[in-house]
This record gives sequence, C-alpha cells and structure tokens, in this order.
Amino acid sequence: MPTVSPPSPVAPERWGDALAGAWAGAWTAVAAGPAALVAMAALGAAKPGVALPAAVLLGGGGIFLLRRLRRGIEGQALAAAPAAAATDRAPPFATILENLPEPLMVIAAEEADDLTGRRFVFANGAARERFRIREGALLVTAVRSPQVLEAVDESLFGGLERTVEWTGVGSQGRDWTAHSRPLGRDDRGSQLALLVLRDETDVRRTERTRADFLANASHELRTPLASLSGFIETLRGHAKEDPGARDKFLGIMQAQAERMSRLIDDLMSLSRIELNEHIAPAGRVDLAMAAEDVIDALAPQARDKAVTFDSILPPRGAAVVEGDRDQIVQVIQNLVDNAIKYTPKEGVVRVEIFPGLTAGTASAARDPAAARLSLLTPDLSDRDERYAGLRVSDKGPGIAREHLPRLTERFYRVEGQKSGERQGTGLGLAIVKHIINRHHGGLHVESLQGEGTTFGVYLPMAKSLPQKDLATADGATPGGVVKLS
Amino acid sequence: MTEHTVKSYGEELSHLTAEVTRMGGLAEAQVADAIECIARRDAGLAQSVVGRDERLDTLQVEIERKAFRLIALRQPMAVDLRHAVAALKISMNLERCGDLAKNIGKRALILNDAEPMSALTRSIERMGRLVQSRLKDVLDAYTASDVQRAIGVWSSDEEVDEHYNSIFRELLTYMMGDPRTINACTHLLFVAKNLERIGDHATNIAENIHFELTGEEIISQRPKLDVIAQ
Repeated sequence: MPTVSPPSPVAPERWGDALAGAWAGAWTAVAAGPAALVAMAALGAAKPGVALPAAVLLGGGGIFLLRRLRRGIEGQALAAAPAAAATDRAPPFATILENLPEPLMVIAAEEADDLTGRRFVFANGAARERFRIREGALLVTAVRSPQVLEAVDESLFGGLERTVEWTGVGSQGRDWTAHSRPLGRDDRGSQLALLVLRDETDVRRTERTRADFLANASHELRTPLASLSGFIETLRGHAKEDPGARDKFLGIMQAQAERMSRLIDDLMSLSRIELNEHIAPAGRVDLAMAAEDVIDALAPQARDKAVTFDSILPPRGAAVVEGDRDQIVQVIQNLVDNAIKYTPKEGVVRVEIFPGLTAGTASAARDPAAARLSLLTPDLSDRDERYAGLRVSDKGPGIAREHLPRLTERFYRVEGQKSGERQGTGLGLAIVKHIINRHHGGLHVESLQGEGTTFGVYLPMAKSLPQKDLATADGATPGGVVKLS
Repeated sequence: MTEHTVKSYGEELSHLTAEVTRMGGLAEAQVADAIECIARRDAGLAQSVVGRDERLDTLQVEIERKAFRLIALRQPMAVDLRHAVAALKISMNLERCGDLAKNIGKRALILNDAEPMSALTRSIERMGRLVQSRLKDVLDAYTASDVQRAIGVWSSDEEVDEHYNSIFRELLTYMMGDPRTINACTHLLFVAKNLERIGDHATNIAENIHFELTGEEIISQRPKLDVIAQ
C-alpha cells in the first residue's frame, strides 16, 4: 500500500499512479458524489498517524493536479494529461475536482503576519464561477468574511480544522458553510490550506419560510375566520327565521371564505417561489404573448368595470426572455389585476413592452415629477446584458412617496385606499418581487398622486442558443481545468 | 526563492488594496451583526459588536501607516498615487461605518430593556439589509476595480433615503399613538439615522473608487432626498 500525503517526495507522475492503484476498486463509487469520494479515499489511503486522511487526500489531489498541470504546460504535454488518463485506468482527478458542485479552493501563504499575502493556488470551476476568482488572485478579493479568513488562517498556521457559517448579502445572497483544513507545506515552503464551501441556502431558507408562513397565515386568517364565526352565531340566533338577512349573511360568508382560500393560495405560491428563488429558471417566454394571454384572461374583470386596455406590444419573438412561463404570466397578471382594481370606472390600463433595453434605459424614469423608487435592482455586473421591459400603468389615485419602499412587503396595504369589493390578499407584489428576483430582473414603481401609478419590470432577454451552449469559464484549458498562481 | 522576499512596488500597492478589502469585510460583518442584534434582540452579539470595533480602528491606523510609507518611500505618480490616497480615504470611511455599527450595538443593548416592537424592528432590519448590500456592492466594485458598479451604488443612495424617510414617519406615528414608546422609538430613530449614514459612507467610497480609477470627480448632482424639507 503506497503512502499518500500531499508534500510527497515521490515524483508527481509516479505519485499519480500510486493513487490510481489505491483507487482502482473504488472507482465506481466516485460517481456517487464528493462524500463517497472522500470516504473511499480515506479507506484506500488509510495510514496511521495521519489525522485527516480524507481532507488531506482531497486537497492533495488539488496540489497533485496543480503540479501535473504545471508540468504539463511546461513540457507541452497537456494533451496526455486528464482526458487521456480517463480512458486509461487512472481516474481523472483533475476533472473530478474541477466538476465538484461545491466550490473548492487551495490557499497558500508564506508568513503569518502578512495578513494579505494569502493567495489561491487552485480553485475549481464552481469556485471560479461563484467568486469570480482570477489568476493568482489574493484570497481577500474573493472572500472578505472575517470568520472565513480567520478559519483559513487557523488552518494555515495553526494546523486546525475549522467549520464556520457565512451568510452572503443582497437579493441573491447565499448561505454557506465553510470548511477549512490544513494541507501542510508545498515544495516551495508555502503553507497550504484547503477551503471547501457548502451551499446551505435551501436548507436555511426552508426553515425560515416555514416559520414565516405559519406566523403570516395564522395572523391573516384570523380576521375572516372571526367574521365567519360571528355570522354563524347570528344565523343560529336571531336571524334564524329572517330569509332576507340569511341570504345577505350567507353572501358575506361566501366572500370571506373565498378570501381565505385566495389567501392560502397566495401564501402557498409565495413559499413555493421562495424555495425556488435560487434556482435559475429554465425555458423561454415571449413576453408579448404572455401579456396577450393575461389581457384576454382578465377581460371579464375589465368589462365589469368598463376598463379598457391600451397595449403596445412588439411583434412575436422580439421580446423573448429567459424564464418560467407560469411565473412570468403570474407577474403580468398580478400587475394588470392591480391596475384594473385601482383604475376608476371607464378608465384605461396601459400595458407596454419594450425589447432590447440596457439596464440603464430599462429602469429610467419617465415622468420627472413622479415619485419613483426601484424596488429590486438586478446584479449589474454583466454590462452587455439586454433586458425586455414591461410597464403597466393605471390611472388610479397614485401612491404617496412614503409608502413606496414598503409596497413589496407582505400584507402591506396603503392606508385609506380601496381596491374595490374584491379585496386583495396583500401578497400580489411580494410574489412579483420574488419571481423577478429569481429571474435576475428588476422592478420599479413610479407614482404621481392623482395621476396614477406605473410598475416597470425588466427581465434579461434570452440569449441565442449556440452562444449559451459554448460558453465556458474564462481561461478554461482543453482539459477543463485552470491553473492558478 | 528565499524565505525573506523584498516586496516589489506593485506588490506593495496590491497588498494595500487587499488590506483595505480585509478591513471592508470586517466592517461589513460589524454592520451585519449590528442589524442582527436589533432584529433578534441578541444582547451577547451586541456586546461583541461593541468589543470588536477596536480591531477596525487598529486596522485603519495600520493602513494609514502603510499608505504614508508607500507615498513617502516610493513617491507614486498619477494612478498609483490615487491608488494610495483612495486606500487612505476608503479606510477612513470604513472606520466610520464601524463606529456607527458599534453605536447601533450599544443602542440594541438599551432597546433590549424595552418591550419588543417587531413591526418597527422589521422596518429597521429591511433598511439595514439594503444598506448592507450597498456596502457589499461598493466593496465588490473596489476589489474588481469596476467603475460602473461603483457608479451604480453612488446613484442609488436615494433608495436608502426613502427607507429612512418611511421609518421616520412610522416612528412619529408610534410615538404620537403611545408616549410610553418615545424612549425606545428615539433610539430606533438614531439606529435608522446611523444606517443612513453608513449608506452615505458607501456612496463616499463609491466616489473614491471613481476618482481612483478615472482621475475625475463624479460631477453630476446625486439624486438626494431631503427628509427635513418634506
């Protein structure tokens, strides 16, 4: 059984063969994911006295990969590296590490007091994509969290294992658990540490959503429930023999029951959307066709109020966005439905779609006199992104400036505004915001009191297919691996 | 390569940036924890926010020393000089952010003695998250040397002001409704004001980044909301 430890004096190529031998039996299990990989590695390379065989081996693979790559590039022999090894008997370590779904990084440092000298010597695909790590980057340019930096320091210079939690910021912020492990020294005398991040966003979000759901639902359902039980009491009491009152009360009860069921529907769909908020939507939606469908569907409601639509839609195929059709339709429906509610009788609701906007023009103000606020701003790091904009305007009473920041808050209702007999649930705009966030789009509102309100949505346009398929990480080599440092 | 290496000029410059970024991370964490201790009524966290502020002060002094040293010994010109000066200025702004976070922590300790007012603390939390993301964006812009991103932060300060305005009114309504809440509400008002100031520091940092990268001031008037005038 060969001994395996990262600063091995064995020549890298030989070392790779030794590893391969140890792994040969375990190869089929590797596909089961990183956990299996670590476990098998630990079994295969068990060596008394090594405290962290699993972590060391995983990290050792990183360094091995690095050395191999360095050699490969120097000796112009890259073609024979990972891809060729896969067809042979050796498992392609480079490809395994590169394709791990978890961000994995190896950090090197020379001096303990040089706080900013920590730099990346390896980062796999997930790490590069998520943290925009460039070649030879310093650790702080990708990770600023003091807890994570401390953990890495303790692994580098204290030889300790650390696990810390780290919560990202912003509308698309994620929750991570960071594991850091010491990896000893490399042949240049630098201290090495392994940093692996695990995405815990969904787990924590599920917990939070459940708590919120219960709190919101119980609070909001109490009102209609109280009114229902009040009417039941009256119907069993003195209104028992009065058919006129009975009909009236039953009508109110039905309306309240419908309100409760709408509320539950909205709460359910909100929590569903929240759970998927970090999963990018797959599919393409023609915004203009979706808007047409919504306008057709809401025609009866509009007819009841004698509200007409004034829509300016581009030709089909001009405003195609990346998205989940049902959700996009829900966004348009919620906005148009609101507009109908707040527009006075015989008013006009305007629906406009503009394709091919930049983020700047998509979120630009239309009326300088109006109160205006961006309710959601997408991550603007990609400057070439083109957006399709949707604007829905009503001629309602308008919303005062101080209410604007709170519009997308759950159950927030602007005081003294009547939305007609069909009362809303107070969740419509919250749903809109969460859906748009999932689609990496933006939302803004413009309102002039007495004149009306406009809600603007902009979503990234769908990219042409071949371009998307060919997209690879910056600097990716044919083996799918990038060398850093 | 020997153990002891003499750092090159370029390395010294990039390490100054790295040090400011590290300090930024610490300031970010302080602000995040300060908001957390208001939202969760966490006295232990509030204590540690207050206690940790010293580290930011030390870091700032260190960055200042390094920047002066670099300017004195290397006599940088043009973009390099702006680089050193920006590090100085940004670290000063970050240090102020830390002070404001510390102040929020202190107020959180006092607020823990009062009755919980979850509706108000939720509004504060929401504003806090917004300010936090501004700070994050501007530090991202700094590490990536991204002028566009910095301008994005600079021009969207209005949103923070809107939130402050909204909280200001909310607090007034509360205090008028129940004078017993005046004590706690006043502290919350200061917390909101501190958050708004942190947002201002983020825009200052954005201005510093713009100057560092382009050599020009941002001239156009920033959209600004005046709460007092309304």
